[in-house]
Amino acid sequence: MTTESNSKQRTAIFDAIRSSGLTVECDEEDIRREAAELVTGVADARPPLLADDIVEAFRMRFDNGLVVGTTCVEITEFRDLPGAVSQYLERHGLPALVKIQPLDNLTGLDWAGFSTDADVELDDSVAVLMAEFGIAETGSVVVCSSASMPVLLNFLPLHAIVVVERSRILPFLDDYAAIAGEMAGDSTTPRNVSLITGASGTTDIEGVLVKGAHGPKFLHVVVVGR
Amino acid sequence: MQTNPERFKENVAEALANPGLKVAIRRTTDRAESKRAAAIQNFPNFEQAREQGTRIKDHVIRHLDHYLARFERNAVASGAVVHWAVDAAQARDIVLDICRRRKGRRVTRAKSMLGEEIGLAQALDDAGFERVETDLAEHIIQLAGDPPSHIVWPSMHRTREDVVRLFREHHRNPTDSVDIADLVDSARRELRGKFLSADIGITGANFLLADSGSVCTVTNEGNAELTTTPTDVHIVTAGIEKLVPSMAHAMPLLRLLVRSATGGEITQYTTFYTGPKRRGDADGPGEFHIVLVDNGRTRMLSQGMAEMLRCIRCGACMNHCVVYKHIGGHAYGGVYPGPMGSVLTPNLDGLQRARKLAHACTLNGRCQEVCPVQIPLPKLLRALRASSWEKKYEPPVNRQAVRGFVQLARRPRLFQWFSSLGVLGMRLFSRGGWISSMPFASGWTACRDLPAPGKATFMSLYSQQRKSGNGIDQP
Repeated sequence: MTTESNSKQRTAIFDAIRSSGLTVECDEEDIRREAAELVTGVADARPPLLADDIVEAFRMRFDNGLVVGTTCVEITEFRDLPGAVSQYLERHGLPALVKIQPLDNLTGLDWAGFSTDADVELDDSVAVLMAEFGIAETGSVVVCSSASMPVLLNFLPLHAIVVVERSRILPFLDDYAAIAGEMAGDSTTPRNVSLITGASGTTDIEGVLVKGAHGPKFLHVVVVGR
Repeated sequence: MQTNPERFKENVAEALANPGLKVAIRRTTDRAESKRAAAIQNFPNFEQAREQGTRIKDHVIRHLDHYLARFERNAVASGAVVHWAVDAAQARDIVLDICRRRKGRRVTRAKSMLGEEIGLAQALDDAGFERVETDLAEHIIQLAGDPPSHIVWPSMHRTREDVVRLFREHHRNPTDSVDIADLVDSARRELRGKFLSADIGITGANFLLADSGSVCTVTNEGNAELTTTPTDVHIVTAGIEKLVPSMAHAMPLLRLLVRSATGGEITQYTTFYTGPKRRGDADGPGEFHIVLVDNGRTRMLSQGMAEMLRCIRCGACMNHCVVYKHIGGHAYGGVYPGPMGSVLTPNLDGLQRARKLAHACTLNGRCQEVCPVQIPLPKLLRALRASSWEKKYEPPVNRQAVRGFVQLARRPRLFQWFSSLGVLGMRLFSRGGWISSMPFASGWTACRDLPAPGKATFMSLYSQQRKSGNGIDQP
């Protein structure tokens, strides 16, 4: 497609919208105000949290089996993470072979006894990665892309162990959306943001839920902090 | 895909004659219906959420030009290339052009109804690309050579026995098992290498965020992210009605979408893509193209069908539709089946071709009750019926029958006389309380018996009661 024909098609679509008589010509500021009003007072239009305490509400999502194929543990210090990973591997009968996201607060830990550069394309692989945020409403973890946060690491392994800091667990989806709105305003939106809520699953054959369709079959969330 | 809504009647006859089809449909739709009911029970403010979702969509439609321009500006600033397509043919040409220019060979696709609408699958096949459908249901129907029969579960018409047969025939390392978990593993093995070796990844979009220029996809399988990350190019095809002002507006719609579609609270993977791979990024596509498609949407704005542009493609209307549950998706002959399809197809394929779909409805209103954005589907279907009448698309027999009914309905005594005669006539064909065949009723009795009517009409019983002093208007 040439730039000229693209521009012609664009003009045709805008002309058709404006001549429909349905769109309203409005000051940009008025549209912005109207849009903001649509999402104020959303407390009346969202589901309740499972507990008053945000971290407890987040944990209860997993403990009550509401998040597909996901378990959750809490640790107080980052240095306890290798131990928590080790316990997870033992429980699943897996060797001490993991792929660690190349972030300083993960790679800087004492991973003695582990081989930390597993091939995530293989079956039974395990990845350890950081989430930017947790969301108590849904039990989601928010993972982003960057130089040290490859997207494929979130999706290729069979087991994903995701670490989230206690202080970064937000109550509602809307609270993450507010942060995303600020990033959009500053043009600092990450290229890729995934809200991950459970293990990969499908109901495509007769509506029956099966885990591990393409992404991880098991998700383990580790909450770090006091 | 090739559409044939003009063959609706023949398609329905074929669907009703297939007993296995109804079993397959009911297995999934009944489960979806009960799961949705349970999800809404746990969300006491669901009605307020519906109100909010409806207001958000209406706001976007009212300011569609503003949000399209804003989305384009921000998407371009993030490094995306934005293309505009007035119709399906232009959209296909744009996508094929990008694929050819990049000399791609293997093209992976995540499920997108817009992709079906513009006939992208066929176009890629015809142009000689190796098309790999990565959503499990789409993978199944690609192997079977079927069109989708539902917008959320496109392979709903296929039983597990069908899937076992297809996988044994086509997979390199198939399973001997008939267990659904083993079948899913077989697809995982089969598709893993194809994800990683593809040249171009194509997805649709559930939402387009105007304030950041981001594109959002939702999946439970994780196939969208595996489709778009390892490839050199990510192409998004999206209808222009997918816009929302920001992520804050997408979240309420997401709550509605997932509960209405599958009865879940959120999909396992909700991903926002903003531009191509950045300097230093560990992975991601080098090019990011967004094709914004009109294909009749602006026409719907000007033809009294704007409310249909609220649709977030959850499929709840078809899961709760008494007609869909009997005939399945293929009988509608369009890309979109069920009640929403009966409104969209006449707008996409033309009312003259698809007028029968407007009649494929009992007007029981269930679809509107469960629609998360309160689309008045029965009202829109009635408007299409009226339009088909005004444009003289209805055949002469129907027109004469309706004219005859109008004459009768205006003369109550004549109407009652004809009704009594009809009841008498029907009782002549009744055997043991059921009618298995009768003139002018073969459309019904070909597939099922008709219950025999009572001995008298309501009006004759009513006047008898009045005469005997037991009428409902007596003190």
